[in-house]
Amino acid sequence: METTTTPRRLPRNLILLITLGILVLVASSMMPAGFFSWLWDRLNVFATVFLGIFVEAVPFLLLGTFASGLVEVFLDRDQMSRWVSNRPAAAAVSGAFMGMIFPVCECGVVPLTRRLFKKGLPLSAGISFLLAAPVLNPIVIFSTASAFGWGEMLFWRFAISLGIAVVTGLIFSVENDAGSILRPVLSAHEHDHDHAAPGASFLEKTRKALLITVDEFFDMGRYLILGSMLSAGLQTFIPQSALLAIGSGPILSVLVMLLLAILLSICSTVDSFVALGFVNTFSFGSILSFLVFGPMVDIKSVMMYVQVFKRRAVFYIVAIPFMMSLLTGLIFNYLIR
Amino acid sequence: MKFRLSLDTAAVSLLLALAALVGFVIFIGEQAGVRVRVDLPEDGVVGPYQTITFTFSEAFDSEMASSLIFLDPVQEGYLEWTDTYTLRFTPVQAYQKGVTYRLLVDAGETASGGREVKQAQTWSFTVREPRVAYLLMQENRNSIWSVNVDGSDPRRLTDETIPIISFDAAQSGDFIIFTSPNENGGVDLWRVSREGGDSSMLLNCGFDRCTTPAVSPDETRIAYSREAAGPTPDIPFGSPRTWVLDLENGQDGPVYADQQILGYNPTWSPDSNKLASFDGLSDTIHLIDFQTGEHFLFASNTGGPVTWSPDSMKFLYTVYAQTESGGRSQVKLADLSINESVTYIGQKDTYDYSYYSIAWSPLAERAVLSLRVNDRQLTQALWVFNPAMLDGILVASDPEYTYNSPQWDPWGDRLIFQQFKLRGQYQPEIGLWQGTATEAVLLTQGIMPQWLP
Repeated sequence: METTTTPRRLPRNLILLITLGILVLVASSMMPAGFFSWLWDRLNVFATVFLGIFVEAVPFLLLGTFASGLVEVFLDRDQMSRWVSNRPAAAAVSGAFMGMIFPVCECGVVPLTRRLFKKGLPLSAGISFLLAAPVLNPIVIFSTASAFGWGEMLFWRFAISLGIAVVTGLIFSVENDAGSILRPVLSAHEHDHDHAAPGASFLEKTRKALLITVDEFFDMGRYLILGSMLSAGLQTFIPQSALLAIGSGPILSVLVMLLLAILLSICSTVDSFVALGFVNTFSFGSILSFLVFGPMVDIKSVMMYVQVFKRRAVFYIVAIPFMMSLLTGLIFNYLIR
Repeated sequence: MKFRLSLDTAAVSLLLALAALVGFVIFIGEQAGVRVRVDLPEDGVVGPYQTITFTFSEAFDSEMASSLIFLDPVQEGYLEWTDTYTLRFTPVQAYQKGVTYRLLVDAGETASGGREVKQAQTWSFTVREPRVAYLLMQENRNSIWSVNVDGSDPRRLTDETIPIISFDAAQSGDFIIFTSPNENGGVDLWRVSREGGDSSMLLNCGFDRCTTPAVSPDETRIAYSREAAGPTPDIPFGSPRTWVLDLENGQDGPVYADQQILGYNPTWSPDSNKLASFDGLSDTIHLIDFQTGEHFLFASNTGGPVTWSPDSMKFLYTVYAQTESGGRSQVKLADLSINESVTYIGQKDTYDYSYYSIAWSPLAERAVLSLRVNDRQLTQALWVFNPAMLDGILVASDPEYTYNSPQWDPWGDRLIFQQFKLRGQYQPEIGLWQGTATEAVLLTQGIMPQWLP
C-alpha cells in the first residue's frame, strides 16, 4: 500500500512547497528595506533567549524527573499515607514544606508532583507543594539571601509564598474526586515498569527509576521546549523596556512585574538576581510580587501544568496565585512601604 | 440536606473575594495618597553631618518632590535622588549645635499627573555631641577607643584580639575604617560602628599591605595606600600606591593607571570630588578631580599632610625649601581655580619654624599649624590663625611638650591634638582646646585622635 500512495503524495507536497516558496518570494519583495536584517537580528535574539531559558531549566527538569523516578520505585502508597496527614489544612501546610526535602524549581516540581499524586498524595498537599516548593527550598532561600540579604525581602517572599500555596491547596481540598482535576496521562513505557517487583534488588530498582526518569524527561521536556519557545518569542517581540516604561505607579508597577514574571520564565533559583536589577526602578511590593508569583506561574510551567491537570484546575492554579500576588504587591505599595 | 462545597464554588468565591480586596486596597490607598518615609534616628538625635533620606511610596519627579521639602532653620546642602523612589539630603556644613531642626514634607504632587502627598508631615531633630576616637595601647596591642569631650565614658570599640595600625572616622561619625595585620603578613581594611563591638573585615588585602585609609566625606568610597607584596616573602613590599574602594559597588582599584605614580596618605576634599596623595619618589602631591578627570601636580618634599579649604577649591601643604638664609620649611597655598601654588607662610622667616601639621577648620577663617616658637626650642606648638589675615594665637605651647596632628570639630570650635612630653617616661596624650578657653587641657592618654561626630 505504501509504495502505491507515495507517488501520489509527492507531487501534491511539491506543489505546496513551490506555492509556499513563491508566496515567500512575493511577500519578501513587498517588504521594506532592512526587514530581513531586522528579522535576522530578532531571530538571533530569539535563539539566544530560548537557549538561555531552556539550558537553565533542563537540569532542574532532569532533577525533578529523577526524583519522580525514585519516588515511583522506592515509595509506596502506604508510606505516603503515613507521612502526609489526611486533614486538608495539615496536608496543605506539610505539602508546602516538602520543598525542603525535594529542592526542585518550577520545572522539576511538575513531574514530581504528578508522581506523588499517583502515590496517593492528597490534592491539597500536592497543590501546595507544586506552588511552594520552587520557593520554599534551601537553594532558593540561599540565592534570595545572597541577592537581598537576610532581611525583609527574604522573609516576605517565603511567608507570602507559603500563604498562597496553603490557601490554594485548601481550595483544592474541597474536591474529593482527584480524577476530575488530574489528567489520566501516563507514558506507554510506564505501564511496563510501573512498580518494582517486591524483593527486587537495589540495582534493579535504580535501573527502573532511571528508565522512568528518561521517559518522563522526554515527556515533559517537549512542553518545556514549547514553553521556552513561547517565552522567548514574547520576549523577542515585546521588549522589556516597553513594559518597564509603563510600569510606574502602585498598580501598574505590580501588574508589569507579574507580567514580566510570566514572560521571563526564569528559574526560581536565580530569579532573585534578576529582581535585584529592578530594585532602583520598581517598588518593594512590585518586586516582591514578581518573586512570589514567578516561581508559581510562568509560560513554561503552565505548559507543563496542562499536561498534569485539567484546564479548569490549571485556571485556578494560575488565577488564585495571580490575584493573591497582585493583592500582596498592592498592599505593600499602598499601605506598608 | 447536607451542603457540599465544590471546587468551582470555592475557587470562584475566593477569586471574587480577592478581587474585592484588591479594589478595597486600591480605594484605601488612593485616599491615603503618596507616603513619605524619612530615615532619622528614633530618638531624634543626629550626627552633625547626618544625611537625611526620604523614601516616597511612588516614583517621583525630582524637582516636584524636592519642592515639597523644607528644613527650619535653613541648612545649606544638596538634594540628590538615588533612585526613582529615594531622595537624599546631605548638609554642606554641620547642623548647628543646640538647635532643634524641624523637617517638613508638605502636601502636594510628587509627579505630574501622579498622586499627591495628601497630608503634610513633620519631623524634628537635634545634633548630638561628638566623641573623640583614638588608639590606646594595652599589652602591646592598639585598640580603638572613644571618649566624651569631657573625658567621661571611655569605651573600647574594637576587640583586644584585633591589633590596629591606623584608622579614619567617617564624617557622619557612624563608623570607623581601620587597618589590621593579617596572618599572611599583609594588612586588611576593617570596619567598626560608632558603638563598637561589631568589627568586620571590609577588604581582604591578602599578602598586600593596605594602610592609611581615608573615608570620603560622602562616605561612598575609601581611599588607601596599597603596597603590593613581593613575588616571594623575602622580597620587600612594593612602593605604596593610592587605591580607592567603592563602598556602593565593591569595586576596588588603583587611582592612577600609571605605575610610576606612587601615593601615600590620601586626603579627600570636603566635597568628596578630589583626592590628594603624596608621591615620595618624585616629591610631588598628586591631586585628581574625579568629576572632571583633571590631574594636578604640586611639588612637596615633606610628605606632610594636606588640608583643604571648606569650599574644596584650595589646600594648604608644607615644603622644605632652600632660601638665602638657609633651609626653611614653608606653608604653600594651592588654588585649584587658577591651578597655582604660592608660598603662604615662611617666605622670609629668620629661622626655620619647622611647620608641619596643619588643619583648616570648617570655618574658612580659622586654621591651625604646628611650629617651633623660637629657634632654641625643638618642640612644636600649635598656632591657631586666620588664613586671610595671618594673625593668630598659640593655643598649646608648653615647652615641655611637643604637639601635632590637630583636628577641628565639625563646627571649627574645638581642637583635639596629640601631645608628647619629651623628658622622662611619659605616655602619649591627647589634648583638647575648647576655643573660648585660653589653655588646652588633657583629654586622655592615647594616640591618633580623631573626632567621632
